[in-house]
Amino acid sequence: METEKKIKLLLVDDEVKFLKAISDRLSLKGFEVTTAENGEGAIQAAKEGGFDVAVLDLQMPGMDGTEVLEILKKKHKFIEIIMLTGHATVDSAIECTKLGAFNYLEKPYDFDKLVEALKEAYHARLQKKFESNTKRMEAIQKLSLSQSPLGLLKSLAKLDDDEK
Amino acid sequence: MKNAKNLFGYDSLAFFGRVNASISHELKNIMAIISETAGLLSDLSEMASTGTPVDPGLLKNSTDSIMEEIQRGFETIRQMNRFSHSVDKPVISTDLIELLNLVCHLCNYLSFSGMLRVTQWVGDPPVVQTCPFQLQAIVYEIIVQHFKNAGPDGQLEVTVQPLHDSGCRIVFSNVFLKDVQVFPDDHLRNAAASIAVIIECDRDENQLELYVPSAIQLVAENDVAIQAIPADGRPSF
Repeated sequence: METEKKIKLLLVDDEVKFLKAISDRLSLKGFEVTTAENGEGAIQAAKEGGFDVAVLDLQMPGMDGTEVLEILKKKHKFIEIIMLTGHATVDSAIECTKLGAFNYLEKPYDFDKLVEALKEAYHARLQKKFESNTKRMEAIQKLSLSQSPLGLLKSLAKLDDDEK
Repeated sequence: MKNAKNLFGYDSLAFFGRVNASISHELKNIMAIISETAGLLSDLSEMASTGTPVDPGLLKNSTDSIMEEIQRGFETIRQMNRFSHSVDKPVISTDLIELLNLVCHLCNYLSFSGMLRVTQWVGDPPVVQTCPFQLQAIVYEIIVQHFKNAGPDGQLEVTVQPLHDSGCRIVFSNVFLKDVQVFPDDHLRNAAASIAVIIECDRDENQLELYVPSAIQLVAENDVAIQAIPADGRPSF
């Protein structure tokens, strides 16, 4: 029987109780959840974790959600990010979209809608990875016609979706 | 003496709006926690009804969390109520320790605030006749500017010192003034002057002081300006 891969989530919010409650609920729904209480923790966790999707609170002390969004999108090519905010404005929505956020939800949100958004983000990630890998494979195929075996191995080693 | 009437217009509304925005943000967070935890209890009930074993520890933690957040919500609403009533009368007997504690609570709702402490008061409370709303606005602005510059790790201590019969001094220690060229600015000084409060700043000692007179009265000049003067007619300090 094929085991369905669990979606790996990173949840980032400075409200610890909220983080625990939503983490427990999402775990019951079958997600593999890691939490971080601040931006620095999120960046460190992402370095170690290999996450599919991250959910970031926009307003946090110290490094805020948009800074974390920017850093995660730069360092992790295929991660998709959903922003959560207690106060949604057009300007912040536009800024987050420009920085690469997949979706933007205002608290309080409907939990089922969040789950739906997470699954959509995951599928978008898979699609991007697939398209990127397809392009790389095509490029390697072309190279393989003229490359030595060692050159071909080096090109294959570059197929790493966590580094730009 | 500056025309104080304008200072009770847009600036006051802006202050009121900022504080209420931070309170509503706090209440939203509280409701989000209650909502998610109630949702978790619902999910667990559903699991239990299908015969899946449920961890009783998780149930207890969830209900405890909801109870704590409800109390946090009540406390937040209490502060909001106190703040809302601070505009009931323009000049009223005001316990400065209560006022400072209220402003500290309100500042704690800001995402960038750090450790803030009002020195414990022993004895009869320091009471002055002043405009509590305006004084709150001044104290709030000082605290906000400090944490905006110092960051959430910045600590601030606030102390009240009586000045015999002439009023009280509110002292802000460890206030972040380094590299801040224009603070307190004219706007803040004018707001203070509107209720006969004087701001003194010692950058070397990182200390800022508010001299609050024991009583003020509002007088109208030519039916246009409203100004506050110390009630005994003496020049402020």
